[in-house]
Parts: sequence; C-alpha cells; structure tokens
Amino acid sequence: MLRFILIRLASAIPTLLGMSFVAFLIVALAPGDPVMMELRAMGIMPEPEDIAALQAEFGLDKPLLLRYLDWLGHALRFEFGTSIATGRPVMDEIALYLPATLSLAASALLGAIALSLTLGGLAATAGQFFGAGLRGLTILLVSVPSFWLALLLIYVFVLHLGWARLVGDSSLPDLVLPAMTLSLAAGAALGRMVYERIRAEMSEDHIRLAIAKGLGPIQILLGHIAPRIIGPLITAWANAFGGLLGGAVVVESIFGWPGLGQLILQAISQRDFPVIQGYLVLMGLTFFLTSLLADIAVILTDPQLRRRLEHE
Amino acid sequence: MSDQTLRIPAVRVIPQRWRSRMGAKRPIGLLIGLLLLLGFGFMGLSPFLFDLPAPDEMDLLARLSGPTAAHPLGTDHLGRDLLARLVGAVPVSLGAALAAMALILAMSLPWGVVSALAGGKVDMVMMRLADIIMAFPMLVLALAVIGFLGASLEASIIGVAAAWWPSNARLVRALVLSAAQREFVAAARLTGASRSRVVLRHILPQVLPPLAVIISLETASVLLALSSLSFLGIGAQPPTPEWGAMLNEARPFFTQAPHMLLVPGFAVTFAVLAFNLVGEGLRAWLDKREPYQW
Repeated sequence: MLRFILIRLASAIPTLLGMSFVAFLIVALAPGDPVMMELRAMGIMPEPEDIAALQAEFGLDKPLLLRYLDWLGHALRFEFGTSIATGRPVMDEIALYLPATLSLAASALLGAIALSLTLGGLAATAGQFFGAGLRGLTILLVSVPSFWLALLLIYVFVLHLGWARLVGDSSLPDLVLPAMTLSLAAGAALGRMVYERIRAEMSEDHIRLAIAKGLGPIQILLGHIAPRIIGPLITAWANAFGGLLGGAVVVESIFGWPGLGQLILQAISQRDFPVIQGYLVLMGLTFFLTSLLADIAVILTDPQLRRRLEHE
Repeated sequence: MSDQTLRIPAVRVIPQRWRSRMGAKRPIGLLIGLLLLLGFGFMGLSPFLFDLPAPDEMDLLARLSGPTAAHPLGTDHLGRDLLARLVGAVPVSLGAALAAMALILAMSLPWGVVSALAGGKVDMVMMRLADIIMAFPMLVLALAVIGFLGASLEASIIGVAAAWWPSNARLVRALVLSAAQREFVAAARLTGASRSRVVLRHILPQVLPPLAVIISLETASVLLALSSLSFLGIGAQPPTPEWGAMLNEARPFFTQAPHMLLVPGFAVTFAVLAFNLVGEGLRAWLDKREPYQW
C-alpha cells in the first residue's frame, strides 16, 4: 500500500512539473513588461538604463529556462511575488480568500454526491415512466446555467420568502444557497453517471444470477452493484470537485461569498498576472491533491486491485 | 440473440413488443432536442424574415418596460428591444459555442487518433501532455488564459478550447483504441488494406456515432461555460448581444424588471438543453444493452 502511494507520488512529479511550467509560461509570455508595469504603477517614467538595471535585478534578462527554474524555487515556497494592483504578496491575498472557496466547493461536493446517488439510484430502479421523468429532470438540471439558477434562487428565497440574506457575515447559513446552486447542476451531472453505471452493471450476468437467487432490489443495489461502481464514482467525484472549484467563481460573484472568485475576476480585469498565476497554481494543486486522494481511495475500495498490489 | 431465451421469466410479464416501444428506445428526447435546435436556427434567421429593430437600437422613452405591443418581450435599461437582442444573440452565443467546439475538435481529433494508432512512447508522451492540462480545473485554466489574453469573446473561446480539448482527446483515443481492437479491423489489416484505408473505412465509421454523442454533450457544456464567462463580464463585452452578457446587464434591475432576467435565462437553458437532449437521445438510441430487471 505504502509502496503504491510512493509510486503514485513519483509518477505525479512530471505532471506537477508540467503544470508549474504552464503556470510559469502564462506570466512569462504575458504581453507587457512587468518592470514597466510596476514602475508605471508607482508613477515613475524611467530611463532606458534604469529599466535594464531593474530587469537584471529581477533576472528578466536571463533565458526562459533559467527564469523558470528560478521561479520554481520560489513557487515551491509558495512565493508568487506581489500583486501589481495592491502591492501585497500574492500568497497573503490568496490565503485570505482560499478557505471560503474551499469550504464552498467542499460543501457543494457533499450536496452533489447525496443528490447524485438519490437521483441516479432512483432513476435506475424506478419504473418506466417515473424513471424517464427523473432522467428528464436530470437533463434539465444539467442544462440550467448556474448563474441563472443563482439569480432565480435569490429571487425566490431572498426577495420573496426572506429565508436567506445576501450580504452576510459568511457564516454557515450564508453558505446554504451558494452551495445549493453549485451542487444542483453537479449533482445532476453525477446522477447521470450513477444511472449509467448502475445500468451497465444491471446488464451483467452476475446481476442476473443475483436476481435468479431471489435477492431483493435493495440487496442487489447495495451488495452487488454498489461495490462495483464505487471506484469509478470516487474518480468522478474528484473530477467534479475540479468543476466546482471553477464554478465557484460564478456563484461567489453572485452571492457575494468572500472567496477567490472576486479576487481572480478583479485580477483578470486589471491584468494582475502574479495573482492569476498564484490562483492557477493553487487551484491546480488543490485539484491535483483531490485526484491523488481519490486514486488511493479507489485502491482501498477495490479488493482485486488491493490484492494485486499486496502480491507485487 | 441467443440469450434472449435465457431471460429471467419475471421480465416477460410485460410483452416484449410493448416494452421496447415504451422504453428508452423511443427517441422523444432526441426529437425535442432536434426541434429546439431547429427553433434556434429559425430564430437566428428571423431578422432576415421579419422586421425587427436593431439589437442596439435604444428607445429611451420605453426603458425597463414589460411586454408591450411594440416590444413583445419588453425592453432593457437602455430601452433596447429584448426580442431583438435575444434573436441577435443567437449567432453570437451559439456561434461562439460552435467555434469553440470546432477548435476543440481540431485539436483533439488528430491528437487522440494519432496517440491511439501510434501507441508506445508517442502515445505515452501525448497523453502525459494532455494530462498536464487536465490536471487544472477546466474553468480555472480558461480564466487564466483569458487573463493572459485580456477579456473578450475571442479570448473566452480560446480559453475554453484550451481547457476542454485534452479530455476530448482522451475520449477520442479511447474510442479509436476500442474500435481498432475489433476483429474485422484486424482482418482488414491482414488482407493488406493500407493504413489510411483501415482508419477511414473500418475505424472511423465505428467511432462516428459515439463521437456524435460526445460532440453534442460537449457543445452543451462549452455553451454553458462561455455564457458563464460572458455573465462574469470577461467574455462577450457590451453592447454585443449575448445571453450571458444580457443577464449580467440585467442584474442591477433584478427587482424592477424581472423579465430582463427571464428572457436570456430561458434562451441559454433551452439551448443547452437542446444539445444535451440530442446527445442523451443519441446515446440511448445507440445503446444496444438491455438491463435485467427485478
């Protein structure tokens, strides 16, 4: 088991390096000279030799690969420089908003998992008409854009029923509506997958045997189908988490949830490249860790894979 | 099929004929989806057929008005006719989604096919490169690319395409791999058919139906992503009529003019729904499995 984790970690290093290179390139190749931008932000019109001196100081006259290695050294310590807009270290800014985004995405994921198992399980086992209706509902939920759903939910729950408020102090009750918005679409998409998986299993011979033995639907679903589909579902959940991290930007901007969404939108409009870079790296890293955890969980839930790993 | 006779008797309480007609094989969803798409096509053409005001023509006396005879769907905060904007947005919103999809396919088809057929080291390197892009959350990467290029509709199309193509390339590769394993493909190869003939005549026809499903579903998700980006103000810029951007403009007038919110929202939802229905419908229609029922 430990060996597997180590192998998996080692095989992840090229991917991580590639990811960091992509993140580096986005800033290194960005139009506009960072030195000029910095100076202009400070209100200084510099002489050409000053620029050259500053470029040398920041190492901008070195070849791209050297600059990448230099950058990587800093990135490993989570140093992404200072924000062009605010002048504060990028990491400080991100650390301020990251917990809100993570808690939003995580609670949305929990909601989506619960919703998907309910929808998918019901759709697969229900009768013809009910099942078709559930599948229709699933497709509808997948199709409703989250930003519109958010506005509709605000209209109903905030403006008409008054059950929630918009400008909150980011306490737990304020999390309900944004998390619900995010989890409805993701839950429906995952539910579609749960349905597909259960259907695929139900076409297998071992299910036919279980039916022939006279087992009930619940027993077959939990005892025979669930263990076989849990692995792929965990992987899908990890993937969905990536989607939720991205989707959080949309929902946060509508509900005023104090997450990274506001920060990154501002950074894009102000062309604040260090912030964009830090955001890309941290979100990538979060998603990457989620996938890693999912991979390990898949092994733990699959007896065949586990046994094979132990014998190796 | 021989295992038809081995079925569990309980299933046979309902006659076979009736069951298959009532089941998922009846392509209602597919039909609705195709009709919706036709409707959008018609909507896109309607400026040439009917006399509509220009999408950015302002009628300042009728700002934020609800549906009237002159403005069937009402007007927005600048007095622009919402129906005209809705219709004017069809080529922009759908065109952007189709352009992004074309870009994605232009990248992912050659990438997936070459990777699957080359195999070995080439395959490994190509998939590793795709994995690196896929390791970022898709919308996050799209945001970063837009940040790099500066906010515009073109930038959002490129950003979405850059973030979406690797997963598509993986799917294409998997489809080609499973198609290439079929015995008649091996037979064709053994009878001396050229490589291009094997690919074009024996592998491609197998890949196309599932690929149509993928393209349709992906177009739906690309359309959603692009309109989200426009809604956030980093895709299509005002005054371009685009559904997501229209919704963004409607936000301050949320309570005064709810119709501004409903019109573009329904447009996006129905457009995404159409592509999803076509994709799901095609999938169900192509699906030859029949699950056992208790």
